[in-house]
Amino acid sequence: MIAHQVSVFLENKPGRLEKITAVLKHQQINIRAMTLSTSTAGWGILNLLVDRPEAAQRVLSEKGHPAALREIVVVRMSDAPGALHDMLLLLAKAGLNIQNAYGTVLGDRRTAILVIDVEDTDSARQLLSEAGIETLGAEQIYYV
Amino acid sequence: MYWEAEIEQLPVGKLDKLQLDRLRQTLGRAVRSPFYRRQFAAAGVVAERLTHIEQIRSLPFTTKEDLRNHFPYGFLTVPKDGPVRLHCSSGTTGNPTVVFHDRHDLDSWANLVARSLFCAGIRPTDVFQNICGYGLFTGGLGFQYGAERLGALVIPAAAGNSRRQIKLMQDFGTTAVHAIPSYLFRLHGAFVELGLDPRRDTLLRHFVIGAEPHTEGQRRRIEELFGVRAFNSYGLSEMNGPGVAFECIEQRGLHIWEDCFVAEVIDPVTLDPLPEGEVGELVLTTLDRRAMPLLRYRTRDLTRILPGPCACGRSHRRIDRISGRSDDMLILKGCNIFPLQIEKVLMRFPEVGSNYLIVLQTRKDGDQMEIRVEVQKEWFTGNMEELEVLSRRIGHEVRDEILITPVIRLVEPGSLPQSEGKAVRVQDLRTFQEDL
Repeated sequence: MIAHQVSVFLENKPGRLEKITAVLKHQQINIRAMTLSTSTAGWGILNLLVDRPEAAQRVLSEKGHPAALREIVVVRMSDAPGALHDMLLLLAKAGLNIQNAYGTVLGDRRTAILVIDVEDTDSARQLLSEAGIETLGAEQIYYV
Repeated sequence: MYWEAEIEQLPVGKLDKLQLDRLRQTLGRAVRSPFYRRQFAAAGVVAERLTHIEQIRSLPFTTKEDLRNHFPYGFLTVPKDGPVRLHCSSGTTGNPTVVFHDRHDLDSWANLVARSLFCAGIRPTDVFQNICGYGLFTGGLGFQYGAERLGALVIPAAAGNSRRQIKLMQDFGTTAVHAIPSYLFRLHGAFVELGLDPRRDTLLRHFVIGAEPHTEGQRRRIEELFGVRAFNSYGLSEMNGPGVAFECIEQRGLHIWEDCFVAEVIDPVTLDPLPEGEVGELVLTTLDRRAMPLLRYRTRDLTRILPGPCACGRSHRRIDRISGRSDDMLILKGCNIFPLQIEKVLMRFPEVGSNYLIVLQTRKDGDQMEIRVEVQKEWFTGNMEELEVLSRRIGHEVRDEILITPVIRLVEPGSLPQSEGKAVRVQDLRTFQEDL
């Protein structure tokens, strides 16, 4: 199953982030990783890696927040110098523009993963698989 | 002392008589235009029945909507090849308002601007730098030809580029300037950045300021900063542009040139005439325009007729500085903007829905317009770049419409006033920069 993150639009104002986390807490949705990209124009996009992305998107939307499910590419980070660089170079050479990328640790607390938010996920996945890099599915990241 | 001593000091009785004669002539000319032919027939207007200028109140009003609805030639009294110039309002949504001038009109207009400048103390020996947009904006060519008619040396500097403005002032010994008040604060900042003091390092002595609302305190601040005297100018493109009313050296109200305009002040709701001294909407009638006369035109500007004679000796009555508008028009950086223009642009972007808020603020580098729009849930994809591009596209399209680049601020849905009912669409938080 293809993995998704939940992206939420929010204004750069005190208390906005807490409104989102409060909704998720109420639904007992577990946040695995989170990044916030801010524009210079007073707003930003919150990217959330959660255990139940569809439910999170639905409930945030119901509460009036612009929230979208975004397909992501998730790879296991190998514990070797230069591995991340080689992989990013691969994507860059193919002209795949990375919107956002962040790392986290899976529930087993041993597996480090990299989440890549890229427009063309299919091409990215194919490219990585051809290079022998394994991409993880939803079941592998949410339930571990 | 006067540009046209006889006309400017004409006793009130004679002025009334002159106005009546010219009004009757104007009616005779106006009836040749498709719009007034129909309007006169419907209202039973007969020029010969008017025996006193006060009876102008029996004529119907003309509004901006009339101008728009009969765009472009509905008000022309001459064949289409008769006029020699037009000026029109900006905007790509809906019809603009256009005013046509024939040679006589341009000549009369240049004379009124020359009279106005002379009245404010500007002389043929002055070097006059006109810092405002040329082209369709009437302040450019209007002051250009008026100051030339006066005999001053005119520098058509146009708007912007403060360093070049300062260089021109120093190279040619500029003594008089026309500009919008908010720009002058920016210009002063440029002087300071260059380590210059306009009071010491220029020959400036006279400013003409107008085309945007400003307070008495703001005027005094400009005078202090530059070491000049600043005079208030009033005009609107429908009435030529500059040269409708102007301050004399007394600086107590603006003389409205009553040989060329009939001024009335009405209650904008009941449309009844208001007595001298009471604030209402200014209604103007042209008395010396041939290609396109306008009768009882509702300017939407709020002001009052100042009672009593002026110490300068001119018999033409004075209006107070403009205190506001009887419609929702905004004036920013000298541009006239209606919220509806912005609304029409926003309607092309379903990504941001129909709610919006216009916020006007004073920043260090001048007044700024921020437009707040709500990101719509249905269109949100989580892509940051998409939203940034959207923001830029909205900004560009609004700029094409109103000629001012706004700051577009995306906000969360539901955070702006709803579109139903009388929502507050505009917040004017501009501060007059008196304490710079």
